Amino acid sequence: MNYSTYTEIKKTRDAKVHQVFFNHSQLNTLHDETVKAVVNLAIKKTIDSYGPLPSPFTFFVMGSAGRFEQSIWSDQDHGIIYNGHHDRVKSYFLLLGKEISDGLYQIGYEYCDGGVMANNPLWCNSLSEWNEQLSCWIHEASWKSIRNLLIFIDGRSLYGVSSYMNDLKNYVYHSVHTERLLSGIVSNTMSIKRGVGIFGQLLVETHGEYSEMLNIKDTAFFPYVNAAKCLAIKEKNLATSTISRLMNLENPNRKSFTNYFIKLLDFRLSFSSHTNYKSGHYLPVNFITDECKKEIKKIIKNGILLNQYVQRVIESGD
Amino acid sequence: MNTAFLLNSIWVMVGAILVILMIGGFILLETGATRMKNAGHIAGKTILTFSIGSIIFWAVGYGVAFGKGNPLFGLTDFFYSGYELKGMSLSGSVFFMFQLAFAGISLTIAFGGFAERAKLAAYLLFSVLFSFFVYPPIAHWIWGGGWLAQHGKQDFAGSTVVHLTGAAAALAATLLLKPRIGKYNKDGSANNIAGHNQVFTALSVLLLWVGWFGFNAGSTLGVDKAFFGFVALNTNLGAAAGSVAAMLISWIVLGKADVSMILNGALAGLVAITASCGFVDTWAAVVIGFIAGILVFYSIRFFERKRIDDPIAALSVHGTAGVWGTLSNGFFATKELATVGKPGLFYGGGLHQLGIQAMGVMTCGLFAFLASFIILYAMKRVLKGLRVTEEEEIIGLDISEHGSYGYPELLLSKQTVKAQ
Repeated sequence: MNYSTYTEIKKTRDAKVHQVFFNHSQLNTLHDETVKAVVNLAIKKTIDSYGPLPSPFTFFVMGSAGRFEQSIWSDQDHGIIYNGHHDRVKSYFLLLGKEISDGLYQIGYEYCDGGVMANNPLWCNSLSEWNEQLSCWIHEASWKSIRNLLIFIDGRSLYGVSSYMNDLKNYVYHSVHTERLLSGIVSNTMSIKRGVGIFGQLLVETHGEYSEMLNIKDTAFFPYVNAAKCLAIKEKNLATSTISRLMNLENPNRKSFTNYFIKLLDFRLSFSSHTNYKSGHYLPVNFITDECKKEIKKIIKNGILLNQYVQRVIESGD
Repeated sequence: MNTAFLLNSIWVMVGAILVILMIGGFILLETGATRMKNAGHIAGKTILTFSIGSIIFWAVGYGVAFGKGNPLFGLTDFFYSGYELKGMSLSGSVFFMFQLAFAGISLTIAFGGFAERAKLAAYLLFSVLFSFFVYPPIAHWIWGGGWLAQHGKQDFAGSTVVHLTGAAAALAATLLLKPRIGKYNKDGSANNIAGHNQVFTALSVLLLWVGWFGFNAGSTLGVDKAFFGFVALNTNLGAAAGSVAAMLISWIVLGKADVSMILNGALAGLVAITASCGFVDTWAAVVIGFIAGILVFYSIRFFERKRIDDPIAALSVHGTAGVWGTLSNGFFATKELATVGKPGLFYGGGLHQLGIQAMGVMTCGLFAFLASFIILYAMKRVLKGLRVTEEEEIIGLDISEHGSYGYPELLLSKQTVKAQ
């Protein structure tokens, strides 16, 4: 469907979101459709203002969008890879990136606090610039450059030439292995916020807007997401969703880890307040049944086990 | 003049100096636990209120507390001029200085409940009235030969007299002043208004800890048999156990070793052991401090949930731990050490001493709370409010009450950037 304003896209999204509220896969398909519609409209507007597209390109999403695990609301994490060399081409795609970013904001996707957006020169590059930048990040191997690499690894092409993304990722995987960077990556991701106390109680927030709620993003999601990501790098797996990455585990508990993560996605959709992006990360534990609490604890504990497994695997193989 | 008299005087003078230095500890504690925009105000008003309290205590407070009179208050020794006191084996002036320092500490504790929102005028007026009508009567009841002393109430160095009294006044102030702007959300949940310098807070605890040797060990009022050493030993154990207990409980319940809780645990251990440091065995000092460390953790959470905004945890550290410390004598006071009153429950004294201690806690706590509440309520009327305006609270009391910042370069540069 062709839209002429972002408001129209927002209306369509708002009308459809209630139908897919409790279905994780359908919800993320809707997110993809919405973002694609925004990109299409942004391209149209940019062509109207600045002329035709100067080269082929791909627009890719990262973060939870890249992993196909967004909640009702989400912030923006995206970038552009284009095939061209001139500064004029770069300026064009930066303008397109800004148009997309502003359009997404109008739909309800918050800007990324860390500036991981296609209007940022760090995340909008030509193929050769990306190659150079990724190579720098790998060789630098600092905390920040590894963070950037890990963000990039979740990239999923949503529009344009998807092979650009796959080629770059294959380059990263190859370099990470030749530079023996895996253990550095693991140590950069394995810090986990505790979610269960030593007496088995859920460790909820003590202050602020989310008092008495459990931060499931830090305590439950990140252990699964990061562990699966590290293994994907190890296995050179191009899949971005945590579920697909977990399915490829060479671990007898592969199925149960995957099921726990799917349950976690369902819990988030069912119990979190989805008034805004941040509230979706918190679970109001006082309003869920004891049975659900037990499940959450199991999910958190298994997340830690998964992390320990990943650490063992990587340390033994690196 | 004999050697014992001189040594007693020197030791208690050292104690008085250490206790007055604790005011410095409280400056660091309160500024560290609050925001930069109020730092200069807190530092300055603490010195000022101690000054006012000193003069009032000299003029009338000491007479009410330690003068001869009836079981409720003393009526002699006003405007004390440094003469020797009958039946004292140390210098009268030294004893006066020691007691003045205690009154100053109690007043400083009370002001914990005023933090970050009370008018300067409220501090000044309350310094006068507290040092006349609130602290001295309670000191008289327990230490000045008053009615609780006649019952054998044990309070070696002032868990009740100094700490509970100060905390009860802080509670009255907190209730009348209401929470600081931004402390609570519409749904009742509390925000953490973080203090601006945790290093200050930690240093304050160390300073107070050392000062407490003057506070407790100095309360022997002499050097006989070097008993002060034993009191200091118990004091140290109480503080250490409180700190460890608070760390453990916060780690168990919250999943992290909360730094401010560790610091509050040490202080709670000190407050609790204050009543019993001269009456209990060393193992009991550890238990008393440990329980205080646990209690302070839950007490802080309790007050916060009740929407009682206590920025420096004065109610829990000095109130809850003060109550527990006083009651602990009723359990742990030994036959040999109970020179006042009777042994506790665990030493064959039955429930007698526990009952006396509970009565002391209730009457003193209630009196200090009601007297402070009435005084503050009347002040609220006279001063047309105890609290600064919202605008003044937001810009900070450094500017609104004093016209200058405690951290001028930093805060003024922020303003300049905003203006640009």
